[in-house]
Amino acid sequence: MIKDENYYKNLAKSLMFNLSDKEASDMKYEFETLYRQLELLDKIDTTDVKEMIYPFEDETHFLREDVVDHTISQEDALKNAPVVKEGHIVVCKVVK
Amino acid sequence: MNLEIEKNIYDAYENAKKLNEKLNNIVTLVDPKSQIDELKDDGLLYGMPIALKDNVNTKGIKTTASSKILDNYIPIYDATIVKKLKAAGAITIAKTSMDELAMGGTNLTAFTGPVYNPYDLNRISGGSSGGSAAIVASGVVRLAIGSDTGDSVRKPASFCGVVGVKPTYGRISRYGIIPYASSLDHVGYFTRNVFDASLALEVLAGRDDNDMTSSYKEVESYSKLLNSNIEGKVIGIISNVIEAISNKNTLDLFESLIKKLEEKGAIIKNIKFDDDLMKAILPTYYMIANCEATANHSNLDGIRFGVRESGNTTEEIMINSRTSGFGSLIKKRFVIGGYGLLQENQEKLFRKAQKVRRLIVEAVKKSFDDIDCLIAPASGNIAPLVSGSDIDELDSEYLVAENHMVIGNFTGYPSMTLPLGFEENCPIGVNITCKAFDEVNMFNIGLAIEESTGLKDLVAKVK
Repeated sequence: MIKDENYYKNLAKSLMFNLSDKEASDMKYEFETLYRQLELLDKIDTTDVKEMIYPFEDETHFLREDVVDHTISQEDALKNAPVVKEGHIVVCKVVK
Repeated sequence: MNLEIEKNIYDAYENAKKLNEKLNNIVTLVDPKSQIDELKDDGLLYGMPIALKDNVNTKGIKTTASSKILDNYIPIYDATIVKKLKAAGAITIAKTSMDELAMGGTNLTAFTGPVYNPYDLNRISGGSSGGSAAIVASGVVRLAIGSDTGDSVRKPASFCGVVGVKPTYGRISRYGIIPYASSLDHVGYFTRNVFDASLALEVLAGRDDNDMTSSYKEVESYSKLLNSNIEGKVIGIISNVIEAISNKNTLDLFESLIKKLEEKGAIIKNIKFDDDLMKAILPTYYMIANCEATANHSNLDGIRFGVRESGNTTEEIMINSRTSGFGSLIKKRFVIGGYGLLQENQEKLFRKAQKVRRLIVEAVKKSFDDIDCLIAPASGNIAPLVSGSDIDELDSEYLVAENHMVIGNFTGYPSMTLPLGFEENCPIGVNITCKAFDEVNMFNIGLAIEESTGLKDLVAKVK
């Protein structure tokens, strides 16, 4: 299951970040241990076992009435945006 | 406000500031003045200085989760628990350091640098809630909030000699906590004794419609129900953990505690889980936690909030912001998550892990047919050195003894760590886990442990 550094760089790119050569090389090394740890899962027979998504499976959320109950102002919504102009978050032009 | 209470708050603030020079456990100091001015009514925590882990959203106060990408993030709202703590009269004096985005167990990955152990500055605090553990252990505050996805409250509690509580999943609202892995995340906290721990849960617990996993179960008067009579209580020792620990001192301390609990009338049983299941805890956790984290943190891109790097296209801005904004360890965790979520791996890794989780939970649940509580040392050893130590990540000692507390996150069962004893003047803890929503029993057995060890209200002398 040996993968080269580029495999991890491409995987990182699909998650929208780059890896330096050192990060990719470290990852290649560390994944060797991970693969062996993951092999421990294969020792467990999970035939006919259903996935467990949450610890408790009783309902704690229900559909509510379609009324507005939780809003923030435009000013608050834009407070943390790095670049704002005329009430909009600014990104690069798509059509040039 | 009583002048003595006000002085106590400012003393804590100054003390936090001073000790931070050695412990490096604070991201942001919070001037208490406006909170003191706004304090109106009496409350369970009236005038009590507290600290919050820096993944707890605080309106108008920088909240970074110890990540560079959130270094400029100022929330526009308070987390539900912040509102509850304010209503109870607590005063926040610090936002504490943590492993970046809560993903780690050492507190070495914070953007602001490592947190040092108050008992020995050459050692780690443990993580990810290390800053909160250290601020309680060093005597600055009586209560600090943390979060616990694997053992992120209970392991640093062990390394720092304090009480660390992770209540039942759904007991405390997570609304406003920067997430890590939603099916495992819990709000937890640190105190220096069991009474304070029981009191804190009365303030923090309760249904919140803003957190869909929040429970409707009634919040009990934990502090009033506190009772150390454990006559007839059945306590199950996790034998797999004992067998995996090689440190004789830890085992001796643990044995001595068990004898004292027996003298108090507890019935001791050995519980042996399937070894393969126990060794699968860590890879199961890795898969579930990292896959969920990868998805949860896809919103950190520097566009709507957070630190933005430049780029020629929106995609380039996102990539550059994430590349520069995340530390190497976080990138590794995301890549593990991404790997598990690849179409060709989803069934054999991610879904497989979710199935193994069910088997682990069922085994633990079944063990509670005959017991009231599970017990084991929280770790085999005292806090490791900051400079690192050799760990065989495939050895049982690491896989089982150092990771068994994840059981509390898989099951959602309440779990707490308390001081057990010392080695080389550094603390080591013991962990107990009870049935879902059985916090009363957990605190009662915790109190019996506290009385047996005599380790209560410990304060580290930071040198």
